[in-house]
Amino acid sequence: MITATELHEKGFHVPRDLGELRTFLQAAMEVEHLTIPVYMTGMYTIRPGTNRTAYFAIRSVLMEEMLHMTLAANLLNAVGGSPRVGRAEFVGKYPAKLPFSSDDLPPVPLRHFSPDALETFLRIEQPRSMTPPLQEGSGWTSIGQFYDALWQGLLQIVDREGEHAVFPPGREHLQVGPDDFYNSGGEVFAVHDTESARLALRVISEQGEGVSDTIWDSNDLIFKEERTLAHYFRFNEIRTGRSYGPHDRPKDPPSGPLIDVSWEDTHRIRGDSKVAYYKRFAATSDVYAQAVEFNSRYAAMLTCLDRAFNGKPRVMALAVPIMLELRDRAEQLHHNPHPDPALAADGIFASPTFELGRPQFDAAWQAVDADIALAGFASGEPVDLSALTPATGETFA
Amino acid sequence: MTEHITADAAARRRYDVVIVGAGWAGSALAQRLGDKGWQVLVLEAGNGDTDTWPGFLDTLSTFRSAVAKVPNSAYRPNAAAPSPNVLDLAPVRNPRPGEPEFTAGGYFAQNGPLPYGTDYLRALGGTAMHWLGAVPRMCDEDFETRTRYGYGRDWPISAAELQPWYAEAERLLGVAGNGQEQHNLGVVHDSRYEYPMQEIPHSYIDRYCKEAVEGEFITDPVAERDYKLTLYGLPQARNSTPNPRYRPDAAFRVQGAVGLPNFGERCVGNASCVPICPVQAKSLPLRIQAAFPRSVTVANRCVVTRVRTSGERSVSGVEYRTYTDPASPVSRPYVVEADVVVLAAHAIENARLLLFSGLANGSDQVGRNLMDHPTVLSWALGAEGKGPVGPFRGPGHTSGWEVFRFGEGRRRRAPFRIEIGNWGWGWATGAPMSNVATALGIGGDEQGEVRPDGVFGPELRRLLGSTVGRQLQLQLAVEQSADPGNRVTLDSRHRDAMGNPRPVITYDLNEHVRDGALAARAVAGEIFHRMGAYDFTDHAPRDGVPPLGHFVHKGADLAYSGAGHGAGTHIMGSDPATSVVDADQKTHEFDNLYAVGCGSMASVGTSNPTITMMALALRSAERIHDSLATARRPVEIRTPETTEATA
Repeated sequence: MITATELHEKGFHVPRDLGELRTFLQAAMEVEHLTIPVYMTGMYTIRPGTNRTAYFAIRSVLMEEMLHMTLAANLLNAVGGSPRVGRAEFVGKYPAKLPFSSDDLPPVPLRHFSPDALETFLRIEQPRSMTPPLQEGSGWTSIGQFYDALWQGLLQIVDREGEHAVFPPGREHLQVGPDDFYNSGGEVFAVHDTESARLALRVISEQGEGVSDTIWDSNDLIFKEERTLAHYFRFNEIRTGRSYGPHDRPKDPPSGPLIDVSWEDTHRIRGDSKVAYYKRFAATSDVYAQAVEFNSRYAAMLTCLDRAFNGKPRVMALAVPIMLELRDRAEQLHHNPHPDPALAADGIFASPTFELGRPQFDAAWQAVDADIALAGFASGEPVDLSALTPATGETFA
Repeated sequence: MTEHITADAAARRRYDVVIVGAGWAGSALAQRLGDKGWQVLVLEAGNGDTDTWPGFLDTLSTFRSAVAKVPNSAYRPNAAAPSPNVLDLAPVRNPRPGEPEFTAGGYFAQNGPLPYGTDYLRALGGTAMHWLGAVPRMCDEDFETRTRYGYGRDWPISAAELQPWYAEAERLLGVAGNGQEQHNLGVVHDSRYEYPMQEIPHSYIDRYCKEAVEGEFITDPVAERDYKLTLYGLPQARNSTPNPRYRPDAAFRVQGAVGLPNFGERCVGNASCVPICPVQAKSLPLRIQAAFPRSVTVANRCVVTRVRTSGERSVSGVEYRTYTDPASPVSRPYVVEADVVVLAAHAIENARLLLFSGLANGSDQVGRNLMDHPTVLSWALGAEGKGPVGPFRGPGHTSGWEVFRFGEGRRRRAPFRIEIGNWGWGWATGAPMSNVATALGIGGDEQGEVRPDGVFGPELRRLLGSTVGRQLQLQLAVEQSADPGNRVTLDSRHRDAMGNPRPVITYDLNEHVRDGALAARAVAGEIFHRMGAYDFTDHAPRDGVPPLGHFVHKGADLAYSGAGHGAGTHIMGSDPATSVVDADQKTHEFDNLYAVGCGSMASVGTSNPTITMMALALRSAERIHDSLATARRPVEIRTPETTEATA
């Protein structure tokens, strides 16, 4: 979160040159990723089989955040930058300060599925139209404003230096396209000029905030998919337990049919749990070892993405199975009582800590590069991961 | 989401086309004709709701809680529009010679002598809700077996004529495959053909089998020929990576889930394609329905009972009954009129409708020539020294040995396609659940006492890892040729809850098919032998109980399973005296009555029939459009007299 935090502290401003633009885009990726552990925790703490509407709503947003991160990476590559994802500085520490938002906001914690968690989600996704406008030099108030500034800066730099200077040729191979990324809420595409950059930023902001003061995203207009609610409004449906009607406006509370939300069907956790604390109970609980393993696999996933964003888009195929593995690992942790007997007696469950530092990434780089060397990633051919050995020593029998 | 109307609303107007059945064929026809601007009504007998997200999740949990994961296990029973189920059959202990070795309950009444162990599903989306998604094309010679090899029936159209329609169907379904490989196999004519999506990766089992026996020659003792084993990938209708080389002018867009627009994934190997893909990577007719144009209307819970005629050579519409409570025998009748009636309700249902309506049967072929792919299962354990084979991962099968589908051997025995199963002994023995039960000692001894040799804990895990992990299964799908004795008839004594006649099935395997099954079994045994695998296949009666589909042929105990590929019941041909529909799937006897689907097929070859059925359906849609357009053209178009003056 180094880049985003630094930019945030400089106050609201528009990027002035290519260097600053790249910094903004690196920060954009960090901010998109910041939401992922938060939403993951909210989703995977839901007791399986319950709160299905909520589960799939959070899941859909989570997937679209991944799309946004990938589109930001494509844009950063297009303007001559290099996305940096596989390093400790990319990852926030929770509770995390939300960059480009009001300094009055409390830090964003990891929370189990609950009204409080949904309040956090809503704060993250709050549309610009619900926050006051601001002046150059003052503080930030919303992520939407950050993307606005990014777009203004990009336009000005293109005006001044010309499109060819901003989007240098010979970088097409760095783009992640629909061949390598798929999530069905929107679509990833290559960015190579101002027009495609505009579309990428439009997808990011309209999936999150909605199209021009409506509750709807633009998946129908851009991707010819079915129109869906923008993120803020998807979360607001769960928070209020009521779906939106077709004519509701952004500031209206939802007026449609009720949604079945049962807040008690959740594995309650302590979002500030740390591996160091789990370690104290390592003699009586395997949660410590599992939480350590979760973090190292998460680092491996980000490392794969780093490779995918830096010239090997096909490595995305290595990241996806790790995401599924992380789902299983997160759910396993949530199904276990907190190792601290006092907390366990209180009905608190274990949770991943998302603590990623240098050691995790150093190990991840070695493992990931070894896997890349083994996998069949020939361009235009089906991905073949069968030469890979299992990531852990755990065997079936 | 597709818009549905009630049975009552559906009857309030006339349509250009009424289509009976909302499965693959009906959905494709409705979309094509709707796109041309024709007003189309689709009547579906079964329940809807599978196209909603709660409906999808309900099928998913129904499947997960089902004890026997058979193809229909994910879908709720419906007494008003019942479906056959593979669980309807039971073996008879110590059967008397000459008597059927099975009993049949459920929707079909079965005369034997052999069981018709095949099911389908009456629900929105049809049997495609539980299909596997295997879409190999038929080979050229399959269309002319009578001319070339002296058995079965020839088609009135050739493989060459179907090629562009195959390509069109592969786009519509969204097929992942290797075009070059299928061209080399001979089933794709275009040497530069590309499928819309890249091939689904081969399974570890495929690789295991390939390494063990690729290039080996296997003797088929029935055909008395040697065949060289070459492994080919299977084209499949499930989402993978879009193929960048596919039609640069019209790139393919991967389609996501129906019911929740931002869900749906590429195939990640959940290994439950049949009965349901939990991430909707598998292609479904619901996708076509979700994109229906406004001119197409769907009404669920409308059980069509009869086709109505309005003259010697024309039909006027259909009668249908609707129900509210599927468990109640109460239903209300309606009539709807249309210029064209298309039956797309499944081979057996189409025949049932034609028979009950007493129509289009001057040839006496309606309901006859019932076909399937009798499938000989063979199962073995991989050599212990070669380690686990990795079953229960990926789609049902991803590769096969194709060579036994072709050539002169077909004169001596029916051809067969060898599918390399990815789901262990699941189909043959109910693995892995059956392995767990055996290991635990469930079932008891002969006195009903708890068996002493059950294991648990680490020993159970070790045992399961060792046995389940090495399970190999070959599924040998034998071609069944058209045989008029295999037929669907009606009998007023056998009715469903709504009062409609149930299909009565008479079914047997002729000598040619039995020879194919015998050869298939021998070939599978030889392949296992060459692989160093231990063959556990046993089709003989055990403790007096024969396996379902058991028969003895030339001294060998054999058994087959149904493949769910019902076909032939309104067989296609150019001679109205010997066939029911023509090459356009129009009934010979009526100018505006079509019967589409696998029922039209003159032969089924050794390919899963859906892709061929879809190619035929798209071709028929074009013909129906032509006939409607022709019928509506003014007889004479007068040239405006003032043309020259104003020009």
